[in-house]
Amino acid sequence: MKLLSKVTVGLFTAALLFVGCGNDAKPTSQETVKPTISEESLGLRKTNLYAEEAETIGHQANYSTAVAGSGNMIKRAFQDAPPMIPHDIEGMLIITINDNQCTTCHMPEVAESMGATPLPSSHFTDFRPATSVNNEGRLTKNGKAIVNTTNVNMDDISIKSTGSHLAGSRFNCTLCHAPQSGDDLAVQNNFEPDFTNKDGASASSWSGTKLMEGLDTINGI
Amino acid sequence: MSLSRREFLKSSAAASAAAAIGMSVPAELQAAANQAEGDWRWDKAACRFCGTGCGIMMATKGGKIVAVKGDPAAPVNRGLNCIKGYFNAKIMYGADRLTQPLLRVDANGKFDKQGKFAPVSWERAFDEMEFHIKKALKASGPEGVGVFASGQYTVMEGYAAQKMMKAGFRSNAIDPNARHCMASAVVGFYQTFGIDEPSGCYDDIELTDTIISWGSNMAEMHPILWSRVTDRKLSDPERVKVINISTYRHRTSDLADEEIIFTPNTDLALWNYIAREIVYNNPEAIDWDFVKKHIVFCASPVNMGYGMRRSDEKSIKEGKYTALEMQTIDKEMKKVVSAAEAPALKPYGYKEGDVMVNENAGLKHWHISFEEYKKFLEPYTLDYVAKISKGNPDEDINEFKRKLQLLADLYIEKDRKVVSFWTMGMNQHTRGTWVNTLSYNVHFLLNKQAKPGSGAFSLTGQPSACGTAREVGTFCHRLPADMMVANPKHREITENRWKIPNGTLNPVGNQHIMKIHRDIEDGYIKFAWVNVCNPYQDTASASHWIKAAREMDNFIVTSDGYPGISAKVSDLILPSAMIYEKWGAYGNAERRTQHWRQQVLPVGNAMSDTWQWVELSKRFTVGDVWGAQPLRGDKSLPDVRQAAYAMGYTDNTTMYEILFANKEAKSYKIDLKSFPQAGYDNTECNGDTRDVVGSDGKVFKGYGFMIHEYLFEEYASFGRGHAHDLADFTTYHKVRGLKWPVVDGKETQWRFNTQYDPYAAKANKEAGTTNSHAFYGTLAKSLAQGDLMGITDKTQLGLANKAKIFARPYMDPPEIPDENYDTWLCTGRVLEHWHTGTMTMRVPELYRAVPEALCYMHPQDAKDKGLKQGGLAWVESRRGRVKARIETRGRNRPSRGLVFVPFFDEKVFINKVCADYTCPQSGQTDFKKCAVKIYQA
Repeated sequence: MKLLSKVTVGLFTAALLFVGCGNDAKPTSQETVKPTISEESLGLRKTNLYAEEAETIGHQANYSTAVAGSGNMIKRAFQDAPPMIPHDIEGMLIITINDNQCTTCHMPEVAESMGATPLPSSHFTDFRPATSVNNEGRLTKNGKAIVNTTNVNMDDISIKSTGSHLAGSRFNCTLCHAPQSGDDLAVQNNFEPDFTNKDGASASSWSGTKLMEGLDTINGI
Repeated sequence: MSLSRREFLKSSAAASAAAAIGMSVPAELQAAANQAEGDWRWDKAACRFCGTGCGIMMATKGGKIVAVKGDPAAPVNRGLNCIKGYFNAKIMYGADRLTQPLLRVDANGKFDKQGKFAPVSWERAFDEMEFHIKKALKASGPEGVGVFASGQYTVMEGYAAQKMMKAGFRSNAIDPNARHCMASAVVGFYQTFGIDEPSGCYDDIELTDTIISWGSNMAEMHPILWSRVTDRKLSDPERVKVINISTYRHRTSDLADEEIIFTPNTDLALWNYIAREIVYNNPEAIDWDFVKKHIVFCASPVNMGYGMRRSDEKSIKEGKYTALEMQTIDKEMKKVVSAAEAPALKPYGYKEGDVMVNENAGLKHWHISFEEYKKFLEPYTLDYVAKISKGNPDEDINEFKRKLQLLADLYIEKDRKVVSFWTMGMNQHTRGTWVNTLSYNVHFLLNKQAKPGSGAFSLTGQPSACGTAREVGTFCHRLPADMMVANPKHREITENRWKIPNGTLNPVGNQHIMKIHRDIEDGYIKFAWVNVCNPYQDTASASHWIKAAREMDNFIVTSDGYPGISAKVSDLILPSAMIYEKWGAYGNAERRTQHWRQQVLPVGNAMSDTWQWVELSKRFTVGDVWGAQPLRGDKSLPDVRQAAYAMGYTDNTTMYEILFANKEAKSYKIDLKSFPQAGYDNTECNGDTRDVVGSDGKVFKGYGFMIHEYLFEEYASFGRGHAHDLADFTTYHKVRGLKWPVVDGKETQWRFNTQYDPYAAKANKEAGTTNSHAFYGTLAKSLAQGDLMGITDKTQLGLANKAKIFARPYMDPPEIPDENYDTWLCTGRVLEHWHTGTMTMRVPELYRAVPEALCYMHPQDAKDKGLKQGGLAWVESRRGRVKARIETRGRNRPSRGLVFVPFFDEKVFINKVCADYTCPQSGQTDFKKCAVKIYQA
């Protein structure tokens, strides 16, 4: 990144500047500050901002044309991150109540045979306590009248299997999963994942005790 | 850590919950998990993005964020996040993070507005800000210093900014981007209830039978709420009905039972049609007992204009607007009544072809009788409304009428619970305040408001539009807890609480965000500071504002994590600590306040916006800012220095000592051994290992007191006992948020409902009534009497504990497609990007999902215009043009005659095309409709 190196150089210059500053003196070393970074070099649009000229166009997406089931997989960005869609989805959307084409390949019972990533157990779990208003008009969660919708003891956590039915809250697959354009990024990202599971880049580990991992933020466990 | 994980699981209620639902917790699995994530630290936080306000679990290792997962304990989202929510993990790690202040200089290192940027020290940055603020104060007085504030500020940042602006600089020219997003909802709340914020809560989704989305693509913009709607719909597909009402087809239609596509602006007519169906055709559905006890009827002037510049404004007179632009702007002064709006305006004495002379009468309204309201509703027959509102030219009129009737029937059906959700479609609207109030009309008549599973519910766009912008009062006209700068009593309460002299605060608060831009263009505002927003990309008529920033004699500062368009057009760029690099709190759309701790150190020399404001306050003394100050229109602010001396301050006392490091502030102690501070960084209070050289040229070692807790608690003290109650700072760190008002440790689920809201119970008790509701808000609760045409009796009548139903007619928007500009343009967001994309375009997964803003268009329109799928086209309005690629098969599927182009893409700078007309009452821009032509590029 050109910009980054410029900023780094600038940082170094600025650091030199500090050495020369007295305790209560205003900075007098303005001459050591050099105009090195152009407005155009900053940000995502490197063309003229003040007029719309021929060269200013968006970055055209270049999504995978691989057919579903061809065995491609995009590594998960970090442990238990939602996986991105490695195949062409032309004609597979839109998702409606009666037609969710994603599930035809990704339901666990068929996924392997279709060469698809199976929906993990989190997608067959209902985390929302049943909500109703009782005869006295009190708000209830899992049948119990509550005062607040959250509390220190976290005794309102509810983890129920939905059996073989995809959890309703996870019905909209495009909420978390998106196809990916194969081109270069506009800007690199320095995030570094840390996989705790050997196959963390390819499979979900968020099930069982992991669901409760770290939730007690008061005691840090 | 005092308990082992196993001991915790055994002893805690969480384990009993797990046991109760039969979740197995084998010991060996636990141990394995423990080891695996042994060097990770999990903590709870709030999502950075939309107004839904989801909780997230965030893992850090070695001072870096390594993962984000859903939080099963978070009531909003229960273990699930959307794609943006998960990728909070990466938003702070874009390679071009700003790490050092950057100043435009000449070859000699002197500030030069035409110069390139040079990295400078924080000390130099504050020297320049001090110099240019003093210059602006001298040139224009307090109104010459402006701040572009934010609904994405933490509560503490917003409070610090507003305190320094209003108490220090005595300037009310601080207004958030929430003005673009929520202002119409707010004025709607004020006018209807007398107090801000929604009465319902998200539990309404699980409790209702009917979800009606008005001008809101919830499936993309409030994705987790939409997952709850989907879950509810799938749980009982026969009973639960979902209707999507929109100007174009989008993902929210995909799961809806019915979709109603209407012509832009005619949502006004749709609401009045439903009300007419109730009043004329189903009068038995009106709950008269409820209405008589709780409701009054009101009217207001209709000739209020469109919030554009008026003909006597400086930049208009100087010819800064082209003849094409003036075709629209001229309607601010007068307009001709059209055939479409004539029937609706007939009860107001207008007919087709009449010239309506516009004058903005502000928020004025008055009582009318029910008979007068009924007369107002008379024109909204099915025939009239269907004729003007059918938005899909290819739809059969009878099919459209069937849908309108069905819509009315669902609302009216006895025992059917109904929630109406809306967002920008109803808020970004030149009659946004009107259409917001019309929603409550329908719910009130049917007694389906502020009840479990029923109510009209405005969804917030931004993560803390409710919390920071509205409750904190980070608007030009507001003070904390719904108080107003124009009200002398409110100013006095605030001055006393802030320990500043009476008379310090400025009573004139009219510089909303469009006014700030226009004042910069007029050369009046000489200094402006951008905080946690991107106004030079997200404001309509953008060419004017970027030009004004660069070409006028002014000094523009942008604080940001990344260099967006606002940074690029600025004179000074400051590197801000981003969301999880600081302690913070947000307040979401269901009134839920959520706090988080600093997870990691900021990058480079970045520091939080709170720190930036507090450091700036060290540069200004009583002598600098509390003498007499001039205001526009021959007004002035008094010299309050004598009163300041009497309070023990001197001319040399800094605003830092008075506003931020006072005795009360210092009583909030650093305690690194106890929860919640133990084990967490706190850069502002303690400094950090980076040893950032601060505003005085010395290493910043921290303020030495818990400034986050101080700012939060002082702010909260304004609302406690005044229906804005918040819990204490530490409690919020222990729980997944609480919905205000929090009274005696209990959150409020349904506001104004006597059974659920202690303030409603109290209001009833004090009034000696036993009503089901009490609309106890206090704003505009005494009104004159009149009819639709105006006030006939100036006697003020009180309406304690009552809400209002408003007569507000359908009117055309100021720009409608014609033969030259033949297509409607609507702008907005997409799921994968947040606002102007400053963060999300730097997350690889989000960038690759949607790298470009597309022009979504009907295939027939593309064909008729000779455009190809995937080909480039110019989208041109009277204000400017941009190039965008045509998409005819995408997630948004407009009918013929309308296109949608999102605004996240710097390269598809669509706000150059959009118009800056606003709702005259709320000041909120209408980004949802203007006229364009589209042709091959």
